[in-house]
Amino acid sequence: MAETKTTVTASGKKRTQVDDVDRSMYDFRYDDADAEKLDAGLTPDIVREISERKDEPAWMLEHRLKSLEIFNSIDMSDWGPSIDGLDMDNIVTYVKPNTDQKSDWESVPDNIKDTFDRLGIPQAERSYLAGVGAQYDSELVYHSMQESAAKMGIVYSGIEEALHGEYADLIKEKFMTLIPPTDHKFAALHGAVWSGGSFVYVPKGVKLDYPLQSYFRLNAKGAGQFEHTLIIVEDDADLHFIEGCSAPKYNVANLHAGAVELFVGKRAHLRYSTIENWSKNMYNLNTKRCRCDEEGEIEWISGSFGSHVGYLYPMSILAGRKARASFTGITFAGRGQNLDTGCKVVLAAKDTSASIETKGISKDGGIQTFRSSVVATPAAEGSRCSVSCQSLMLDDRSRSDTIPAMDIRCKNVDIGHEATIGRIGDDKVFYLMSRGISEEEARTMIVNGFAEPISKELPLEYAVEMNNLIKLEMEGAIG
Amino acid sequence: METTHVTIERASAMPAATWHFLNMNDTQIEMPEGLSIAPAVQVSEPWAARGAADEFENALADAQVEWEKSHPAPTAEELAEREAYVAAEVDATYGGTAQSAYQIAADAIEESRSLAVAFEHGTGDEAAAYLRYAAGDRIVVAVKEGQSVDAQVVVSAVPGAVSAAAVDVIADANSAVNLSLVVDAPTAPGQSGASAGITGTTVRVFADEGARVEIDRTQAVDGDFTDIDDMGLFTAENAQVAVRQTVLGAAASFTGLAGDLRGDSSRIDVDTRYLGHSDQKRDFNYSLRHHGAKTKCNLQANGVLAGTSSKTLRGTIDLIRGCKGAEGSENETVLLVDEGVHNKTVPVILCNEDDVAGNHGATIGHIREEQLFYLASRGLSQQAAESMFASAIVEQAAIDATTDAARESVVRYGERLNPGFADLFEE
Amino acid sequence: MTSNVLLRCRGLSAAVEDKQILHDIDLQVPQGEVHVLMGPNGAGKSTLGHVLMGNPAYEVIGGDIEFDGADITELTPDKRSQAGLFLSFQAPVEIPGVPLRSFLRAMMEGRGEKMKNKEFRKKTQALAETLDMDPAYLDRELGVGFSGGEKKKVEMLQLLLLQPKLAILDETDSGLDVDALSVVSRGMELYREQCDGTLLIITHNTRILEHLNVDRVHVMVSGHMVAEGTAELIDEIDAQGFERYEASISPSEGAHSGRPDTK
Repeated sequence: MAETKTTVTASGKKRTQVDDVDRSMYDFRYDDADAEKLDAGLTPDIVREISERKDEPAWMLEHRLKSLEIFNSIDMSDWGPSIDGLDMDNIVTYVKPNTDQKSDWESVPDNIKDTFDRLGIPQAERSYLAGVGAQYDSELVYHSMQESAAKMGIVYSGIEEALHGEYADLIKEKFMTLIPPTDHKFAALHGAVWSGGSFVYVPKGVKLDYPLQSYFRLNAKGAGQFEHTLIIVEDDADLHFIEGCSAPKYNVANLHAGAVELFVGKRAHLRYSTIENWSKNMYNLNTKRCRCDEEGEIEWISGSFGSHVGYLYPMSILAGRKARASFTGITFAGRGQNLDTGCKVVLAAKDTSASIETKGISKDGGIQTFRSSVVATPAAEGSRCSVSCQSLMLDDRSRSDTIPAMDIRCKNVDIGHEATIGRIGDDKVFYLMSRGISEEEARTMIVNGFAEPISKELPLEYAVEMNNLIKLEMEGAIG
Repeated sequence: METTHVTIERASAMPAATWHFLNMNDTQIEMPEGLSIAPAVQVSEPWAARGAADEFENALADAQVEWEKSHPAPTAEELAEREAYVAAEVDATYGGTAQSAYQIAADAIEESRSLAVAFEHGTGDEAAAYLRYAAGDRIVVAVKEGQSVDAQVVVSAVPGAVSAAAVDVIADANSAVNLSLVVDAPTAPGQSGASAGITGTTVRVFADEGARVEIDRTQAVDGDFTDIDDMGLFTAENAQVAVRQTVLGAAASFTGLAGDLRGDSSRIDVDTRYLGHSDQKRDFNYSLRHHGAKTKCNLQANGVLAGTSSKTLRGTIDLIRGCKGAEGSENETVLLVDEGVHNKTVPVILCNEDDVAGNHGATIGHIREEQLFYLASRGLSQQAAESMFASAIVEQAAIDATTDAARESVVRYGERLNPGFADLFEE
Repeated sequence: MTSNVLLRCRGLSAAVEDKQILHDIDLQVPQGEVHVLMGPNGAGKSTLGHVLMGNPAYEVIGGDIEFDGADITELTPDKRSQAGLFLSFQAPVEIPGVPLRSFLRAMMEGRGEKMKNKEFRKKTQALAETLDMDPAYLDRELGVGFSGGEKKKVEMLQLLLLQPKLAILDETDSGLDVDALSVVSRGMELYREQCDGTLLIITHNTRILEHLNVDRVHVMVSGHMVAEGTAELIDEIDAQGFERYEASISPSEGAHSGRPDTK
């Protein structure tokens, strides 16, 4: 638990001061002296070296070099949070931890094992997960799956490993097709230096009852993490995938520019849950996309708590008739954070439907922006989309912006949008206090209630973690 | 005198931009070359309400003095405290909050503490300057304290020319102004549309304490005309400005309205109705900045898009730190009645004050099921119901017209769209 | 009962979202007669009206509807309207942005009556006056901010303008509102006078029927047609309520919650 100092101010009001308390459990770190490092900055040679070490197929090296060219030729977007604090020349883009991937937890080096033990990863696996992957800096260090899932024909492995296996051609066919390197500057960067990540393949008709989980840990100082997650859920199959991220805090910028590409087949279903709790020196410029075929369904559950700067807009491309998407997200921006989050939806076939429900909270000078785009193409006849977005301002130093765009090119659609912004009603706080609850508790309770539609969608362990994060963020919010 | 070809690149830009791929952040206005400058403007207003050319600037300068009295600049102590906070934040949070370009610009406007800097034109400074140049002398309607004035400005489209009016309204404390703006094309049917031209109005409103200003702008230009409707509003304490905009004609129309709700308890209401048919283009930009406590704004936009028309609406409500108790709302309903229409909407709420209520809603698509059943039970097919909604926009505009000139203009437009329309409105 | 049958439904069953709410309904309404459909709250009376009019919210899962000699079971509501069927709504919808007279004109044009605009104006104004309706309402947006009585006037105005062969008046709740009640009474009277119209009045309140010569009374409970009789049935129900009919239906066959949402 974190250290808190409680002082009594002149007015007699108790004031709880929290120094980054929420993250201290994530903040322990090991010296990265043992790890091999490449030179800072990004050159074709570095990219070649990454590829060489990984013993990749030639097409991948080509892809990397092309992506690097694109990276160098396009500008950073001008509408989002500043990334001036990110000096690309000083980012060590690739750090190889001093271990190879293990599937036996005991053989993982102690310092890394200890890290994941503290984060509760192995326990989680024992208690409710069908499979677990853990990435430490640039490489996967651990991957395992319950035997029962393997017997069903489910593949859950490192993507680099998979590039040499049975699904190599499938990966080549899909890799960075949903997120082409031309999409934006950090997609190009990802294309050039991606490393690690998972490959999941769920065969036709296979339904997995327990979730698979990947945990990402960025331990090295001033490093980048660029994992690539590729998930293919074939027709009539079902999967729940959970992603967790954390990092210790350093006084230099870290960068996360991962990519998640999801392919959902006909009548298939995928739920993708994320609790992101990167440390507050992180630039999280992650890109996630999903394509759904006929009657396929993607459900995004997304909690964004950490990072200094966040750009995160999971995108759903509803390409088949009656495909569905839902996005349930919460973003909590505290001091020094500028989190620009939201989602994108493309209604590109008949009778598709999407529903978006987000909550944003900003506090202590934090900036929280909800940004979305809903596009209905001329093929979207009979489609519908509803967006509901609520923001809560916890004080008047913070900022909450809502920038939802809709581009509708089809007549027979129903597109609805509603957004509200405001603060915790004094009447509610008063009511709870009149029943003997302290102000801080009352406000925490109300914020938890506000977040409830999201937490109820999470597996219990994650819901508890999220409530704890909120509780810790709320401590010291009064006074 | 003839114009050269001018393109206004970033007209009607929204304050906080979003993805460029959406192509919604701003618009381009093309001014063809070879137009003559020929304002065909009729003004009717009482002589007593003629103001001096610099009346608006003077009023804003006076308001600046008043505003500074109630909003003193931060003391050295406060500044030091703020700096210390920022420094601590930079320390504690890795370089401070990474503000976006827009967030930095927004802070700079506030830090300037200048009402003139904060004053905006809805279509942007460049478009406003163009119209002002084309309009020649400003029409200045200045209404003395407690008085009430009706004024009317009719701008007639002139083929091959720019016909524009620049209007300032300075409403002193507790005065009332009704301003009717009619942008019309009184050319005979068949004759119009032969040659493109530009119509436009640029209006600045200064509504002093307790003043009531109502503006009704009706645009029923046809043919290939481009119409630009630019407004910038300022409200002092308890002032209220209500604007109704009816956009029926013009191949391309650009409507931009910006408002600074500076005085406490002041209010701006905007009611926009539009019709898009054939391949007409419609562009709307609203930017309302709440500075004063308990200020209110309400944006309502209702439109029907038919044919292959397209429309973009940017609506920004900015709840700025200090506007305690402010309420901003915007609501849009767009009915799409033909394949091939294109609708873009971005209803933005920016907020850095906690004690506020902001909300927006948008409904885009076809007629609601229960309405459709009701209409069907009276014999209307979906197609018939849709065309009824489209023609109703014109009919409603005629019914609601506040002046004869506006009504005549709408009826003339309706008759061109649908012969026999005028019979409905014969006295 | 040898007269010409205008409306006949046989074995009509309907469902909403897979829940059956009308069970095997038989009903005949001969030309020129006045029929009343009664039943307690939630009996499915309004639903039957909506199903007869073809509301797509309900699915016909059995039986058929014949109107004026033709099978209309598959017709869309606009076609049924053009065939001469009319349904007044218990709670008429509001249509912002459409002035009442624009709607009325579109309604007339929808059935190919290309009335000259001047003529149309005169006719609607005259009708409005007959119904004690301020002609200014013609310029207002349909239903927006209208009181219950005003909404009813608008419904009756349409009835008189269209002069349908059969009017189904869904007056389930209007007995509660004295204004609405008198408007509907006046509307029905004029309709009968002007075109010898046929009426099916849905109600569970009998006050509305005071000035009418009722030919037949039908009673519905829980989605079933449970009784039929002469006007005497009205007095009987007035005195005894629906209890004895309700007892005849087992609770499992309930049709509650199936009321049409016309808000």
